[in-house]
Amino acid sequence: MSTIRLQRMPIAPARIALVLRLLSVVLALLTTAILLWATGRDPIALGAKVLSSTFGSSFGLEDLALLFSPLIYCGLAVAVALRIGAWNIGAEGQFNFGAFCATGIALFVPGPTWLMLPLMALAGMIGGALWILVPTLARAYADVSELITTLLMNFIAMLLVYWVATGPWLDPSGMALATTARLPVSVPPIWGIVHWGLPVAVMLAIALALVFTYTRWGYEVRIAGANPGAAAYAGMPVKRQLIAVMLLSGALAGLGGMMEAAGTVGRLQGGISNNYGYIGIMVAVLARAAPLGVLATAFFMAVILNGGIVLQSQGLTTHTVLAVTGLILLYAAIGDEAAHYKILRNKTGES
Amino acid sequence: MDILAGLIQTAFLAGGVLALAALGEVLAERVGVVNLGVEGLIALGAMSAVATVVGTGSPWLGLMVALLVGLGAGMVFATATVLIRANQVLCGLALTYIGTGMAATLGKPFSGSPVPATFDDIQIPILSDLPFFGRAFFSHNILVYVIFLALPLALHYLMFYTRHGLNMRAVGENPAAADAAGIPVMKMRFWYTSLGASLAAGAGAYLTLSFVPSWSEGVVAGRGWIAVALVIFAGFRPVNAVLAGLLFGFVTALGFVGQARNWPVAASILSMLPYLGTMALMIVPVITWQRMRRLMAAPEGITQPYFRDQR
Repeated sequence: MSTIRLQRMPIAPARIALVLRLLSVVLALLTTAILLWATGRDPIALGAKVLSSTFGSSFGLEDLALLFSPLIYCGLAVAVALRIGAWNIGAEGQFNFGAFCATGIALFVPGPTWLMLPLMALAGMIGGALWILVPTLARAYADVSELITTLLMNFIAMLLVYWVATGPWLDPSGMALATTARLPVSVPPIWGIVHWGLPVAVMLAIALALVFTYTRWGYEVRIAGANPGAAAYAGMPVKRQLIAVMLLSGALAGLGGMMEAAGTVGRLQGGISNNYGYIGIMVAVLARAAPLGVLATAFFMAVILNGGIVLQSQGLTTHTVLAVTGLILLYAAIGDEAAHYKILRNKTGES
Repeated sequence: MDILAGLIQTAFLAGGVLALAALGEVLAERVGVVNLGVEGLIALGAMSAVATVVGTGSPWLGLMVALLVGLGAGMVFATATVLIRANQVLCGLALTYIGTGMAATLGKPFSGSPVPATFDDIQIPILSDLPFFGRAFFSHNILVYVIFLALPLALHYLMFYTRHGLNMRAVGENPAAADAAGIPVMKMRFWYTSLGASLAAGAGAYLTLSFVPSWSEGVVAGRGWIAVALVIFAGFRPVNAVLAGLLFGFVTALGFVGQARNWPVAASILSMLPYLGTMALMIVPVITWQRMRRLMAAPEGITQPYFRDQR
């Protein structure tokens, strides 16, 4: 007689975690398919339509690339913070404020293009970092949960952008309702409508991966995230690292906002962030905070988002995608826990 | 004087959403579970309440359906976080996404149209005729009295004056010790988390059936997150949570008055007030009152799943 027993291991084996991660995505898509089928839609035909409209034409691929790029920036932002054990739920706000700052420079500072673009990128990064500054200091010095403070800042940034785009910075031509004038400089295109924002994002992901793997600083950040007490005991400046990493996180999201305003959209408008910040959390979590993993999961989420645009033509809203995203996250969280378990067979008669 | 009475009246009306959602979150966090899905639960509750009222014309039925939907969603969340012991932050975010997305998808057919029936204001005899106080305190719809008076007092009594409440707090503070004392930790966590979720969805029904009588995609507007923040500020106490909700209702009301009276400030800026206020409330007290920090501390076992075999 043998019984089956579950044993929980303190560390989940990476391979099992990865398999369960993939399984959770499949399960989430399956659940969505069943729900679509239950509401009288044909999930297989819809799926085929999503794939063909995304990968079937160069227009589809260009659209995909334009979704891919902001998701990398936001995914990296969340991932970097997760490395040191901080939840940056505010990439959405930092993205908005980065776009806001870059737009401010573009609209009101005259200068040659070669100087303007780096200046705007810098403004975007500083803006993103500024937007996470208060939550960062509150976490570092008063132990206030950054999870909620970063999130609250999202609403403030979105209201701010909405306000300037409909008020002080409204397009003076009178042609547009809720947007600024077209920015005088833009990020140059590299392929069709895809601009340099994408290659820069990919390079950043590779650079961050190298930093976290091969530098002492990256190592210390990882230790400080895993066990702050031990890191402090070993003489690492944990608090300073936390601040640096969180500001870097904000800067990454802010740069994404600059690329969106100056590259993809060409102007600043309300809702420019398009939930990228929130989906960036998904991207980072699915990638287990690995910068190179972010490239893969951001691509996957871009396909899902692009699929949402197809679903929209079927009488669903863009928010439907958010629900699908949530399902993936829920299954992934359960899968993470399940990965800790080992199945043991033991003979009961012997003990 | 008349402005102030109106302000207080609106503060109760607007603060009710936050107060009820915060009460639900107090229940969950007191047994050691942080539910970050409040935003999604409010959306689900708000949408299902409107859907029910559009179909049946009865706001009471709408509220009931919202509470049940919330209970169901809460049981899914509690299954994941309490029974399976998955990460609470991830599951909470997932619940927010699922709730917001599903509510937007299912609520699309009646988005933006006014609700056919809402909870009406009750003029309490004699008291509502009082000059100032009548308007500010005694002419609300019935839910306002439930949210601000009956429910917090009942919960306060339950949590701090009964054996059951002591057990409940023990589960949140030290689940291992509670388990050793024979308190059913998992059961307690499961049901209070589900019940808390039900109240959050009820806050959604309150939102669309009395405060903003219509459903639209952005109607929740971060209220769930503010409610989560208020629970921390309120030191995880039901009466404080309701008072904090009222305070934020007041801030919201101030924004309304500003818009109505054409203050020289843009509407978007006034709309920032509740978020800015919440930020301030989360940070300032912690810095200024060192002693309060211990008094208002979170339950010791919060966010930590309980494993009996790993004591």
